Amino acid sequence: MMANLLFGFFFVLFSYWMVIARRRRQALAVILAGVLVVALVSPPQAQAQGSLVAAIQSVLNVINGLIKTALNSINSVRTAINNFYKQATWPVALINQAKAMVAQMIGQYRSVMQNIFNINLKSATLPNPIGLENAIRNHQTNDFASLTTWFGNTYGSVPNTTAASPADRTMMDMDDALAVDNLKTLKMSDAADDLTLHAADNIENAASQAAPGSAPFLTATAIVASIQSQALTQKMLAAELRQEAARLAHENALHKRGSAMTGNVNTQILNLLKRK
Amino acid sequence: MKNAIQSAMRGLRWAWGHKVRTVVLLVVFTLLAPKPIRSQFVDPCCAILATGLTTISNTLGSVIGGGLNNILSIEKDISNFEQTVVWPQNLISEARSLVGRLQGIFNQIQGVMRIPVNSATLPTTQQFEQNLLSRDPNQIAQTGAQYTAVYGAVPDPTAASPQVRDMTDMTDAAAQAAMKRAIEIDALADLELQAADQINQSIQTAAPGGAPIIEGCAVR
Repeated sequence: MMANLLFGFFFVLFSYWMVIARRRRQALAVILAGVLVVALVSPPQAQAQGSLVAAIQSVLNVINGLIKTALNSINSVRTAINNFYKQATWPVALINQAKAMVAQMIGQYRSVMQNIFNINLKSATLPNPIGLENAIRNHQTNDFASLTTWFGNTYGSVPNTTAASPADRTMMDMDDALAVDNLKTLKMSDAADDLTLHAADNIENAASQAAPGSAPFLTATAIVASIQSQALTQKMLAAELRQEAARLAHENALHKRGSAMTGNVNTQILNLLKRK
Repeated sequence: MKNAIQSAMRGLRWAWGHKVRTVVLLVVFTLLAPKPIRSQFVDPCCAILATGLTTISNTLGSVIGGGLNNILSIEKDISNFEQTVVWPQNLISEARSLVGRLQGIFNQIQGVMRIPVNSATLPTTQQFEQNLLSRDPNQIAQTGAQYTAVYGAVPDPTAASPQVRDMTDMTDAAAQAAMKRAIEIDALADLELQAADQINQSIQTAAPGGAPIIEGCAVR
């Protein structure tokens, strides 16, 4: 369309100038200008690049050869991967079997274990020991003052300064303190154990509904719970170690006192013998 | 009509009088006049091109299109399998949410284990108890002196035989070592709780593929 317009414009202009040219020189100038315009504006002719049929055949050969082979190979690999996923890595039947096993384990063990945890271990028969035992075994951490009171009621408090020597009072206070500390730690541990069991139940419930992709979260958090539980066990172990060390220290203090008394007696006997 | 004939006659006379110009005009117009497009029904080259392009198009449709469709079908199957069986988004979100809820429980446990349990009533024993329950290994240096203040020192050489002194000293050493070890164990347990807390917080923001890495760190 554009070419036709340009040609029409050129036709009119060139004809007009050719007609109105009065001398040969003017006509020659118009002809030269026309030739120049044609030479500059006309596009070069396209040249053919070999045989068209050969070119088309070449394209078809590439499609049917290289590309087809590549696509078939990709197809084979993806099919193999798909089969591998479904049959070896994540077989749905085995995933369901694992989930069913978790559910079965929950049904088989949870309530049985919970019943064992809930067995009543209380054995005291008198009011003060009953009070102390209740305070020890109630899994509460907000009644430590009550525990101390019941402990004092049951085992007695530290004697007055007039009723015992400072050394005896100190040792009795230390023995009582470590015993009560450990009872408080025991109550804390019971409360923490309850929370840990609650967390374990949650993890186990989630595991029975999990997918392979969500299970790593559960196993990772289960290991965190296991670390927490291990830390609690260590704290109880430390408390027990303190208690045993205090018992040993108490017995050794008695030995020290006995040897000191023996030494004093020996000295007094020697003094008596010297006087005679 | 008459005018038209007269105009034509005048044009012919002008052409006869300007032969060179007329020839130039004819040559230029003949050379530059737009050429008609060749019809594919007439030109054999276009027919070959059309047939070739049709063949290429059919081949592209069957070979490449068919192959890609097969691959697409398998990719869809894999994608569907991974999204519904392996990594279902809803179960991953639920697991993350559970980890968040468990963090609350773990915080409760840590809170419980930090409740003070001190019970001594006398100044000397209070100080010693504070040391034993400190969970601070830096305070182990003071344990010995405070132990002696509560349980007494090894008797003087004048007050006891060397054998008795040796035995009491060794027993004191064993008792003190156990107490110091208890402080260390408490400190280690605190660090473990702190690490567990840190790990669990990382799990909440981890990807399914990253969780096992954090798990590996936790196992250590």
